[in-house]
Amino acid sequence: MANVFHIVVCSGIVPDPLQTLEPAPGPTLKNEMMLPAVLDPWAASALYEGAALAAKHAGSKLWLLSLGPKAKLQQVMMTVGQKVPFEFVAVDGPLGGFTDATSTAAALAEAIAAIPGLDRTKLLLFGGWESASRGAGVTLQVAGELLGISDQFQGVDEIKVADDGSFEVLERIEGGRHQQSRCQGTPAVLGWATGNLPEPRNSPQVGMANMRGIMPALQKAKSVKLDANSLTYASVSLPKQQRETRLVRDLSPDEIAREIVQWIAE
Amino acid sequence: MDNILVLTHVDESGALSRASLESVAAGVELSAAIGATLAVGVVAAELSADIPAQLAGLNARVLAATAAELAEPRFASDAAACEALCRHASATIVLAPGSSRFTRVLPAVAHRLGGVTDTHITALTGGTQVEATRWYYRQRVEAVITRTARPWFLLLDAGTRTPYAAKGTAPAIEAVALAMPALRTQVLGIKAPKQDEQTIRPDAKLLFVAGAGWTKKQADGQVHAAEAEQCILGFLKVADSSLGSSKSLVDQSGENQAVLKFMSHLNQIGQTGATPRHAKGLSTCCHGEEPHVVGWRFVNERRAINLDANCGWARGKADVVYIADAFAVMQRVNALLSEKK
Amino acid sequence: MSAELNSEQTEVERQQMEVDIACVGFGPAMGGFLTTLTRALAEAAGDPALESHAMPGMPLQVLCYERADDLAAGVSGVVTAARAIRQSFPQIADAAVPMLTPVTSEKVFYLLDPHGHSRRSLVLRAADVLLKPFVKDAAFALPYTPPFLEKHGGLILSIGQFNQWVGTELMSTGLAQIWPGTPVAEAIFDGRAVKGVRLADQGVDKYGAPAEGYMPGMDVRAALTVVGDGPVGAVGQSLDRTLGLPAGHATREWALGMKFVVELPEDTELQPGTVWHTFGYPEPEIFGFLYVHPDRLCSVGIFIPSWLGDPARTAYRYLQHYMQHPLLWRHLEKATMRSWGAKSLAESGLHGEPYLCGDGFARIGEGSGSTNMLTGSGVDEAWATGTQLAEGVLELLKAGKPFTQENLDAAYVARRRQSWVEKGAQAAKEARNGFHSGVISGLIGMGLAGLTNGALAAAATPPAAHEQISPLRKFFARFHSEKIAEAQQAARSGARTLHDSLLDLRGWPAIPYDGRLLVTQQDALLMGGKVQAAAGFADHVRFRDPALCKACEERTCVSMCSGQAITEGEGTTPAFDREKCIHCGACLWNCAHSSDGRRANVDFNAGSGGLHSAEN
Repeated sequence: MANVFHIVVCSGIVPDPLQTLEPAPGPTLKNEMMLPAVLDPWAASALYEGAALAAKHAGSKLWLLSLGPKAKLQQVMMTVGQKVPFEFVAVDGPLGGFTDATSTAAALAEAIAAIPGLDRTKLLLFGGWESASRGAGVTLQVAGELLGISDQFQGVDEIKVADDGSFEVLERIEGGRHQQSRCQGTPAVLGWATGNLPEPRNSPQVGMANMRGIMPALQKAKSVKLDANSLTYASVSLPKQQRETRLVRDLSPDEIAREIVQWIAE
Repeated sequence: MDNILVLTHVDESGALSRASLESVAAGVELSAAIGATLAVGVVAAELSADIPAQLAGLNARVLAATAAELAEPRFASDAAACEALCRHASATIVLAPGSSRFTRVLPAVAHRLGGVTDTHITALTGGTQVEATRWYYRQRVEAVITRTARPWFLLLDAGTRTPYAAKGTAPAIEAVALAMPALRTQVLGIKAPKQDEQTIRPDAKLLFVAGAGWTKKQADGQVHAAEAEQCILGFLKVADSSLGSSKSLVDQSGENQAVLKFMSHLNQIGQTGATPRHAKGLSTCCHGEEPHVVGWRFVNERRAINLDANCGWARGKADVVYIADAFAVMQRVNALLSEKK
Repeated sequence: MSAELNSEQTEVERQQMEVDIACVGFGPAMGGFLTTLTRALAEAAGDPALESHAMPGMPLQVLCYERADDLAAGVSGVVTAARAIRQSFPQIADAAVPMLTPVTSEKVFYLLDPHGHSRRSLVLRAADVLLKPFVKDAAFALPYTPPFLEKHGGLILSIGQFNQWVGTELMSTGLAQIWPGTPVAEAIFDGRAVKGVRLADQGVDKYGAPAEGYMPGMDVRAALTVVGDGPVGAVGQSLDRTLGLPAGHATREWALGMKFVVELPEDTELQPGTVWHTFGYPEPEIFGFLYVHPDRLCSVGIFIPSWLGDPARTAYRYLQHYMQHPLLWRHLEKATMRSWGAKSLAESGLHGEPYLCGDGFARIGEGSGSTNMLTGSGVDEAWATGTQLAEGVLELLKAGKPFTQENLDAAYVARRRQSWVEKGAQAAKEARNGFHSGVISGLIGMGLAGLTNGALAAAATPPAAHEQISPLRKFFARFHSEKIAEAQQAARSGARTLHDSLLDLRGWPAIPYDGRLLVTQQDALLMGGKVQAAAGFADHVRFRDPALCKACEERTCVSMCSGQAITEGEGTTPAFDREKCIHCGACLWNCAHSSDGRRANVDFNAGSGGLHSAEN
């Protein structure tokens, strides 16, 4: 029997990595709404892997679930929408990495449970193993727990599906190594590291097809307020990382090499 | 009063991992500071003799959840073990190493117990309330957070404190009953890269980071990928160094550019890469942009070789910046180190 | 080369897509077009006349492709009279558009040369000496702003933020799609009729040959193609190449605008809404500006005109000197760079106007010659042309008339000809001819034309852009040829740019880098420009005849490359690094050589990426 997957990719949006960010009291980021945003880079690999998996297994479906301010989501979808075909599910919520991960997970789990046509026995819950904004690595596990999924993998770089519906997963562990596991089948949570797929080319047809769903999804987006779960910021400070840098301009490569070798030996 | 539980796990040798012992030390300090009870929970397939010896002198209950299924890290089995330990200890504050094993499972365990999780904690202080320090790397701020919600799980970054040092009598270990759920996942093993010289190796003293400049056109207008490979691999061999890279270098693999074959995203240092711990770091042909340099935050001594005196490294991010051609310098460094060997 | 490419491409099987209106380039002109169009479509929902022909039963399918990776990545700190923009958005000053503020004060300054090395005529030197005792900060404030330059009642805005806001507003109607990160290669022709556009190939090597993940650019076929891809856009260029320009028209005059957005210190005296126009420094031909946005942000920049004959000119070095002029430095000394960018401006006005429409296509915005160089205004004019086209298109749709040249002429071009845009263009038409004979005559000519609404201005035909660049040895004749050769050698070896060496020879002070505002050009690229290019696209800058490059002494393309993406290569032609290109298009007109007497030796095609700075 053919394997059919219902893949839901959870992804936040983050400021374009090229932007210079400035923290402001709150904590928040100064001018964050002004900066162009992109799909969270970890979750983007989850999206591309999810799309590749859905394409390989006929009858599979792929949803992209994103929580953020509607206007920003719309902007990000203008780029992401051209990459791979998906159905968009939007939750209108705050930006930024300072919100509580458990509350975010609850909002996502609720949105997933409400997706029409989603068969939770076929569910692969995808996302980044951390968000690039909060960097916590908590959201996906809690969302999985809320959805009653008992097989979870984090730091995933590869999934290989066997004919019987079981799949092998490579997870990043300490020391630059991978742990290899085999799971009997869906449902499962996979928090992706980079995966192995390049960013897909922009496809206008994919874009046009996606856009038919994106605008209605944005219009339907439910607004959520995230509970802080008692999280309070006692203080937020800028790093005092400035070093006294010594610039060496006039030494020959030989002299520099000697200095470096001596430094290594120290 | 809070009940602190420190969750620990063993490494491949069967003894408690170094990061676990760091968490034990944090638990000892914090329980003293806030006047909380302290317990240590061990997750292992079996209790080796190492474990009580490692915890010798500890003034705390030591609980253990053991089962053959815990021989390898896996979500369902680890979650069951951690949940049982937390319930048994009536823990209100749970400290644990932020290892791949516990990061995978503890946020979900916290949720089972109605609790919350914070990760990447680098410091803990206790007084009227527990305050945890963590970095928000993307936002480039260091925040001190606190919560009243309990149980509160805090995953500690490795390397941020001295591990617990055993002294005196080994503690008694209480076994905690464990109901192992049906397991749908089988751990097949560990896949390690073939040559360890090509990865970030935590045990190395020196981190060598290659930036995208190695595969760009050099002064003669040509790309010298083969020489770059030779130079970098040569250095790793003679210096026993760990190998990291900038994101832009490993991103090139998808762009039909000259790429260093032995580099992958596993080498990437920075915001969306690794944050390794080495005493020294040498950056070459890399511009030292902020998202990359956040991956260097635990590297104490930093030097860089770059042709541009205005690169990020020169702006207070490295101790020494050599304005020079890394090809020329590294070839000579390799020659000198080979002679020494 | 491009002809060869075209013949290769026809053999490739391309995907096709049918839409009703295909648009190219999302700038102010397209903003005006799509805002007007989508509003009308929303109001007339269900009107069968406005239904899609490409997809029967659906609303009109309107797609817009933009090369930049994000709508906020546009370039231009702008002061605009905002006449047309306000017509579309009467309450825009109250809308939450970041960096937008009404103009509150406006001044014009003549900048004296503070160090005595600027290239000044005797008359200007005498003027400097006479004025010096009476001025502060080496700047003479004109007693009043000439009415033709006035922007009172207008707006200061960031075009990046404005575009982002407009894009979000109109996308939320769901009646138009805008796709950034999608360069369009050329128009699809059937004879002289345009049938749509061809997107750039992806998954190709730098020469355009298929590589990993090859995806031939799709053909997007449309009943109407709206071209608003700016002065150096690939589709606009393909129209000009295929259709030619109307008789007597030619694009000869250009300028490169380069600017920083800086954060002013907390104790700054500059108030939001302040507008300064300057002339006289760093060289007399270089105009400059300073606009103060809200939140202590400030745009400061210069324009390097094509008629600045210096073949070794670099905008970046000049901009650094400009910011250090005492008038500005007093306010900028403690400022920090936030953003940086540059763009080409088409300054030919009506002289360079292309065919505004034809069967199946219409052109709007700067690439259609709408920028008014007398008033120094382009955004508002561009917006106006977009709204005029939208009104025309709606009229034709409702009447069930096809988008033929005749119908578009009547519905769009006639509107444009009757509007203030055209009247302004007529007044500006000959206003700047005098600059080709010198700065003083240029300023007098501009003043006269401005004050008489173009009545007093001498018609003239300026030389082609490549002819405006003086031969190197002629321009620097006063220096010993050995010194020039040394400077050339230093430039070829990559040690020092030609312009830096020559400015040193002329005695200009070195730039005291401070790592904050005064940084190297490469750092500006990283810190302020944040340049990026997606993988898998071909090099969009090509050198047509290597023999011309080999013999070239001037290397103006290298000097004027805003991103230092074009460098002296080891090969016959200069080297081009796509990942550094900010798509300013300066290379297109900063080449002193031509094999056919019309076009210079550089091709600037459709390419991906560019600036990512959001505050431009």
